[in-house]
Amino acid sequence: MLGLGIESTAHTFSCAVIEKKGKKGKILSDVRKIYRPDDGEGIHPREASRHHIEHSSSVLSDCLRDAKISIKDLDIISYAAGPGLGPCLRVGAVVARSLASFYKIPIFPVNHAIGHIELGKLLTGASNPLVLLVSGGHTMLLAFLNKQWRVFGETLDITLGQLLDQFGRSIGFASPCGKNIEELASKSSNYVTLPYSVKGNDVSFSGLLSATKSVAKKSKIDACYSLQETAFAMIAESVERALSFTNKKELMIVGGVAANKRLSEMLKDVCKRHGCKFFVVPLQYAGDCGSQICWTGILESKVKEGVLLKNTFVTQSWRLDSVKIDY
Amino acid sequence: MVMKLIKKGAEADIYQTKWQNSNAILKIRKVKNYRNPILDLKIRKQRTLKEAQIISQVKSFGIPTPLVYFVDLEKSSILMQEIPGKTVHDLSESKIILLCKKIGKLVGMLHKNGIMHGDLTTSNFIYFKNNIFVIDFGLSQNTMKSEDHAVDLRLIKEILNSAHAKIMLPSWKNFLSGYKSVVGSEKYVKIIKIVSEIESRGRYAQVS
Repeated sequence: MLGLGIESTAHTFSCAVIEKKGKKGKILSDVRKIYRPDDGEGIHPREASRHHIEHSSSVLSDCLRDAKISIKDLDIISYAAGPGLGPCLRVGAVVARSLASFYKIPIFPVNHAIGHIELGKLLTGASNPLVLLVSGGHTMLLAFLNKQWRVFGETLDITLGQLLDQFGRSIGFASPCGKNIEELASKSSNYVTLPYSVKGNDVSFSGLLSATKSVAKKSKIDACYSLQETAFAMIAESVERALSFTNKKELMIVGGVAANKRLSEMLKDVCKRHGCKFFVVPLQYAGDCGSQICWTGILESKVKEGVLLKNTFVTQSWRLDSVKIDY
Repeated sequence: MVMKLIKKGAEADIYQTKWQNSNAILKIRKVKNYRNPILDLKIRKQRTLKEAQIISQVKSFGIPTPLVYFVDLEKSSILMQEIPGKTVHDLSESKIILLCKKIGKLVGMLHKNGIMHGDLTTSNFIYFKNNIFVIDFGLSQNTMKSEDHAVDLRLIKEILNSAHAKIMLPSWKNFLSGYKSVVGSEKYVKIIKIVSEIESRGRYAQVS
């Protein structure tokens, strides 16, 4: 079975083709174009959607060429229907709808966050993990129970990705800023005390953001170092709480911030303490990409027919714990 | 001293041991190497101290908690009475539904007396001889702020909704009725309103 997946929830426009044989999926191609705002600025939804429109046809044709297939070979088309930025989501949905209606191919709306998790499971081989989803849009701890992903902990305000991006922009970087902050942090080992806010299994980052901005006025490297140490220790603690509460023996991290080495190092240590296997999604597939959407659509297609074109909506706020999973 | 590791908790290792002639629990918040040492020391000391203080303080208004025998701040450890029951988390579903009313009352008593527990999960209530003991006060605070109390309620709601999803509705209903019976309807209405405010601040929450 061949599927096409289209991702356009935020800064990335991506198409991917996956071939499914038995239970295995093989990524035949995954092409992306990423919108980059100016230094010190965040994603402007309108500008990002224009970027996606401009690049949609070249990304699609490159993706089909790399996979060595033509559109007619496709069995299903999936698109990320939310959560995300409205103008951006609509671009992917329009492309998906046009292809589906012209070529009469079944179409599947997919939850972007579930996409991160399902591709993570495919690529790491984790079977029943506690999932830490850390990205610009999410900071959540999840476990699968009774046909749904259940939230065991999450941020009460901004996400880990937003924390890093908003702080990074305030010192002049362009989003996404995680990598720049990680580089600056590695130049310091001077810890400045910052607010540490864990509420049960939940975390709150807004106070930490303001406090770090004021530390940055004295030293940017100390601010980056202390920010990472504090925020990641909070995440690690919530992970420990959720592991000990759920008794899961696997931890999987997915999402853009999974690329951060310091975070994985800390979580590896947590897993060692709890006798738990540690999985991290391969760097190349940590950020948003079409493969996430494609694979989830393929899984959905095992138990569902495609959706009628008139029902192919996008939903900016679509929580993953509201999705019923029957496959 | 004979010590047997019985649980590696999130924050601390829990050992079964003896204090004079009775069974006791030793809770040690060990150094976490992954954490920056300054931050690590601060967290471990602060929580050990808070836990030891509040676990005794709440007895004065009738909350069953283990007796504290000995506190060692240098090692971040607390030696306390063993409550040889089962955690509510591990009981049968019908029993959990039933006990939620009593748990609601206990939480109401804590809040009424200005204590936020900070880590309200079903693993932190021990059912023993028809009584419920509250444990794990490491994240607790002395606070009369309704916002803090609402955070407590939100957490237990999240836990019921995830770990006990099948029995969420009756359990939550019982919890609330127990809670309301202690704090009174004025405070109850106020807190419930804040709980939904906190939920609506969450990511991608349905805004009603």
